[in-house]
Amino acid sequence: MNTINIDQDECTGCMTCFEACFVNVFRWNDDVEKPIVAYPEDCVECNKCELGCPVEAIQVIPDYKNIYWPPVV
Amino acid sequence: MTTLESLGIVNSTDILIIGGGIAGLSAAITIKEANSGLDVLVIDKATSGWAGKANKGGGNITYVEEEDGMDHFVKYHVDHVGCFLEDQKLLRAYGESSRTILERLEGWGVHIFRDENDNPKFIRWTEDLPWRMAVMDQDVTLNLVGKAKKLGVQFTDRTSIVDLLKDGDRVAGGIGFSVIDGACHIIRAKATVLANGNQNYRLMRRWSSGRGDGIAAAYRAGAQMRNPEFGNFINWVFVDSRDVCQGAEDVLYNAKGEHITKAIRPTIEPDLHSKEVVAWYKEMQAGNGPISANMAENRILNEIVPAFHSDALAVRPISTAFWDRTIGKSMSAATKPGPMQEVVPGFIAEQSPVKVDHDMATTLPGLFAIGDVSFSGSAWAGAVPSPPGRMRGTGLGNAVFSGIRGGSAAADYAANTADVKIGPDQAQALKKTMFAPLKRSPEIEAPELVRAIQDVMSPVGNSIYLHKNRIQKALDGILGIKAKVSQLYAKDWHYLAACNEVRSMVLSAEMFFKACLMREESRGWFIREDFPETDNTNWLKWIVASDNQGEMTLSTEDVPIDEYPVKPT
Repeated sequence: MNTINIDQDECTGCMTCFEACFVNVFRWNDDVEKPIVAYPEDCVECNKCELGCPVEAIQVIPDYKNIYWPPVV
Repeated sequence: MTTLESLGIVNSTDILIIGGGIAGLSAAITIKEANSGLDVLVIDKATSGWAGKANKGGGNITYVEEEDGMDHFVKYHVDHVGCFLEDQKLLRAYGESSRTILERLEGWGVHIFRDENDNPKFIRWTEDLPWRMAVMDQDVTLNLVGKAKKLGVQFTDRTSIVDLLKDGDRVAGGIGFSVIDGACHIIRAKATVLANGNQNYRLMRRWSSGRGDGIAAAYRAGAQMRNPEFGNFINWVFVDSRDVCQGAEDVLYNAKGEHITKAIRPTIEPDLHSKEVVAWYKEMQAGNGPISANMAENRILNEIVPAFHSDALAVRPISTAFWDRTIGKSMSAATKPGPMQEVVPGFIAEQSPVKVDHDMATTLPGLFAIGDVSFSGSAWAGAVPSPPGRMRGTGLGNAVFSGIRGGSAAADYAANTADVKIGPDQAQALKKTMFAPLKRSPEIEAPELVRAIQDVMSPVGNSIYLHKNRIQKALDGILGIKAKVSQLYAKDWHYLAACNEVRSMVLSAEMFFKACLMREESRGWFIREDFPETDNTNWLKWIVASDNQGEMTLSTEDVPIDEYPVKPT
């Protein structure tokens, strides 16, 4: 499973990562106005959250070795 | 007494657009530009503007210049790509409008890169193809959202529309739920536009969230499907990262060091073809695997792709950052040094069968379908899974082409029809089915069935190199999975969306295999081991699927080849 690290101190709460994720990995913590990495198992390493973060507070670390891949032959 | 309002949040609009990618946004803008008084609501299961594939691909859009020759374009496509299954009138219409689409996009705030003479900068995938690719950055859909909001288009995000609602035979809106708070949403609409992508079976990484939601909703509402057997696109992927290896098809070597595709691809062709996958399959069956791509010889990756992404062509900071970051990470996953990197066919599918006419109207009144959900269903691309259907850049091109047409037609329909009425009993029954996984015991969860479906769809012997025995076995497997769908459990609303997506995947797979069994020939991308020849006597036909009281029925529709300029010799 991919790891998504968020530097909570750097995060400005702009919601770009939350909006950028096309598979809804994130949920939003309204109390502190920060993202929650709620479903990292669904992350497909498009990196849009990481690339969109204006303060580089988020990092996606793909776990290529453990991607499930069905039979091909 | 049950009322609609007692079932959920009820909204009314003139036009409901399901899906906030490039097709849906193009339609929304088209509608509001010509009819500012019509209400337009765009709903996406994630976020409009970030959804879809336009912001994850190469940023290339096909177009045909006058000097490329429209007759030549149509003939080339029919001879080499769609192999006589094209609706040649719609193919020509696409070609003829493709150049003006670029100006349309620019008017909507999209930057198309131009040269010093104000002509679009372009690149061709190979030198002799009668089409070009203009380029844009990956912010295209965000620009379109900005334009749409200025025009007064309304948006609802993170809401999954599962089924269509009807007023008699007429489609009258949709029903779904918020993946954030689980609220049931009912939208009453005079016209509904499906723009929520095709079927990808959730396998290919960082690409599409298309799980056939629109296909399944339209099918369950009674709409016809067309060309479902052309839903089996693959791309070559590195074994180490499962990321795409562009250009592998021309440089594949077996474990003996023999080039396995040179004989069948003596020159670079317009994109991938299933014949290379068949060559790979035969080598694997003969024990000559693994198969590797020789990256040192990979002309597409070493020359064409860099040219395409170079600043000399167009400075595209968002695209460049995306490709540098994603490819940089995946390439760093390589476990072996040197140019020979193991690759396998990565199943992408791209089934897009909702049948539409030239106005993108489905066979149901009040329902239109645009973009990837109806690409094969429109039939203009012929015997290829699409997009790209062996024509890079048609995903974006078709999205805008069909968005403009479908948006205009939906606006006309909404402006000239009465308000719709939705019976609460219908909505209540659909709501109950949609939410049922939340109430079941935790025995079978969505990821388990997703993998089971992928296990059936992915093998090349099931999806690309087809044979009656293998198709039947695969179909039996899918029907076995279908029997388990009614036991699916969801622990929350996020996984409830996944459960409903599984329903859509099973339907797509069943339709694919049943249509594969029916087409007893090989044509274009579609290859049957047991029927290796193209049969223009019996199979200049489109396969049409529809629901008949819970049973899938298949029939054929003759391609009106006598009306078309390009005919088989």
